[in-house]
Amino acid sequence: MFQEEVIKADVLCVGGGIAGLMAAIRAGELGAKVVVAEKGNPLYSGCGRMGNDHFETWVPEVHGEDMDAWIEELLGTAKGEILIGKNLLRAQFRKAYDVVRLWDGYGIPMKHKGKWEFSGHTFPGRPFTHIKYEGRFQKEILVKQAKDRGARIISRAMIFDLLKQGEAITGAVGVDTRADKIYVFQAKAVILGTGKCSRLYPCLTPGWMFNDPHGNVQAGDGRAMAYRAGAELQNLEMPQRHIGPKYFAKFGQATWVGVVRDWYGKAAGTFVTSPDRRYGDMICEVSKLAPEQYTMAGKGPLYMDCTGIKEEDLEYMLHWFVHEGNISLLDHMKEEGIDLRKHPIEFSTYPHRGGGLIVANEKAETTLKGLYAAGDEAFGDISAAATFGYIAGENAAKQAGNTAEPDVERSRPVIEDKKTQLDTLRGRQCGPDWDETQVALQQTMLDYAGHVRNESLLLQGLHHLRRIKEKARATLTAGNPHELGRCLEVLNLLDLGEITFIMALDRKETRGLHVRPDYPFTNPTLNQAHIVSLRNGRASTSWRPY
Amino acid sequence: MPPVIDHEKCTKCGKCADICSEDVFYGSKKGEIPNVTYPKECSHFAGCVYICPAKAITLRIPLPMLLVYKPSEEIRTT
Repeated sequence: MFQEEVIKADVLCVGGGIAGLMAAIRAGELGAKVVVAEKGNPLYSGCGRMGNDHFETWVPEVHGEDMDAWIEELLGTAKGEILIGKNLLRAQFRKAYDVVRLWDGYGIPMKHKGKWEFSGHTFPGRPFTHIKYEGRFQKEILVKQAKDRGARIISRAMIFDLLKQGEAITGAVGVDTRADKIYVFQAKAVILGTGKCSRLYPCLTPGWMFNDPHGNVQAGDGRAMAYRAGAELQNLEMPQRHIGPKYFAKFGQATWVGVVRDWYGKAAGTFVTSPDRRYGDMICEVSKLAPEQYTMAGKGPLYMDCTGIKEEDLEYMLHWFVHEGNISLLDHMKEEGIDLRKHPIEFSTYPHRGGGLIVANEKAETTLKGLYAAGDEAFGDISAAATFGYIAGENAAKQAGNTAEPDVERSRPVIEDKKTQLDTLRGRQCGPDWDETQVALQQTMLDYAGHVRNESLLLQGLHHLRRIKEKARATLTAGNPHELGRCLEVLNLLDLGEITFIMALDRKETRGLHVRPDYPFTNPTLNQAHIVSLRNGRASTSWRPY
Repeated sequence: MPPVIDHEKCTKCGKCADICSEDVFYGSKKGEIPNVTYPKECSHFAGCVYICPAKAITLRIPLPMLLVYKPSEEIRTT
């Protein structure tokens, strides 16, 4: 039987990553009573858990006073095809420099040796876009800042559904992943910041599921609960892929100072010919598919080749690896006797990852009153997470100041229903566990909504996935509170997988990684946001200009 | 499988179990050497390794995750 704890707040931040903590900081600063619910521990959760080393921003001393000119340059070159509104990017970049200065004030070193340091993510000859910063201890620092502003942080609290009265969000329900306890949160505003959707497709090492550069507990929780509550999601059928060291999945493409070359030493691209600490090799940015394409063309493998690097540049790169959260990668290379001065590292195109986002505007407002989204939940990178987290916190606090306290007891039937669901998952003696279910989901996603899609494949996959989902709902078992959390993640992923199929069927064109040989051309009239929302129990799709 | 705790060095402070977001140490008890209950859920970020005040934890990188590198010596083909 589940115990219940009711917690009341003005602003509830779901997820204690960069976005959630920045939201908590800003909302707390404005006087809101803030609670952060994090299913892990915010000191070591999210993509930024062990650090980041680059932050996309305009810096007036470097780029000149004309911020808009820098923004337009950036939108024109480095970003490639953009699947969000440029208005959102403009909103991010207009605020990013303020956030950089805030972070520097908090004690996260945003300068290197007393100066703004730029490198990576930039084409040679074009304006620099990312400052290097020393983010190794950023989470610890942001947690302290949030607490200093009165935020209450609850670890091991996994929120899995939102509460709603009429069309307004009034709170959320979650579980304690270490005890049979349900949390009922009453809040005037809720900010979702649960990160990416990592486990929809198989990972880099088949059979070893927890090997994703984001970390592996980002299961699209926010998107799934937002969808179930009626919010709009966007472009879920557009998967993402990344690039990085083969078999040891870690971010940091721009931290590497090397040249992408084949076995025989021939460079894959034309951006750099020798290791260059200022630019890295932009081929990683231009084509994350390059390693896979080389292999398919009979030219593989492809390497990040740092041979010929200057000693001071090697030291520079290793310094930033630590701040980029790659300390375990360095330890592994040391243990294995891998010396970057003489051993090129094979790079790999990483597998598909669930795409899309929760629709949110420049104020981080979703399409539901009282619900905000920031960070990878909405879009972006470390800069977007920090900036939109701050924006979300500010607007949520302002809204909370103008909103009457909701009465969570009005949601009592829903809460009791959730308790029954949890009791059932915990009470079953026999049935598939979470990882068996996830294997079934992942193989279906890869085989039927993976590299190539067409109508018949997608219809078959959708039918099969729904069978898995139905069986999971009827038979999934959770042996303890930890496994219960994993079960709720898998149920979220099943919802997102189903929507991915529906949206992939509806996108009758080929674009990016959405490859449909039955519609082989890109349709310029579909250069719009592809929207889905739950209407009368069914997925309703539509198109809207970005 | 990661992480590996040196029982001789561990001071039973529980910091590793406290901070692990995957909760691979689920079920560990305060004041005891933590259990590595769900090793396959480790994300290999080494947070536990570096927060351990006794340096009692190492990550054993699983075989499927070994980095692939181009050797500097010639590869024997016979």
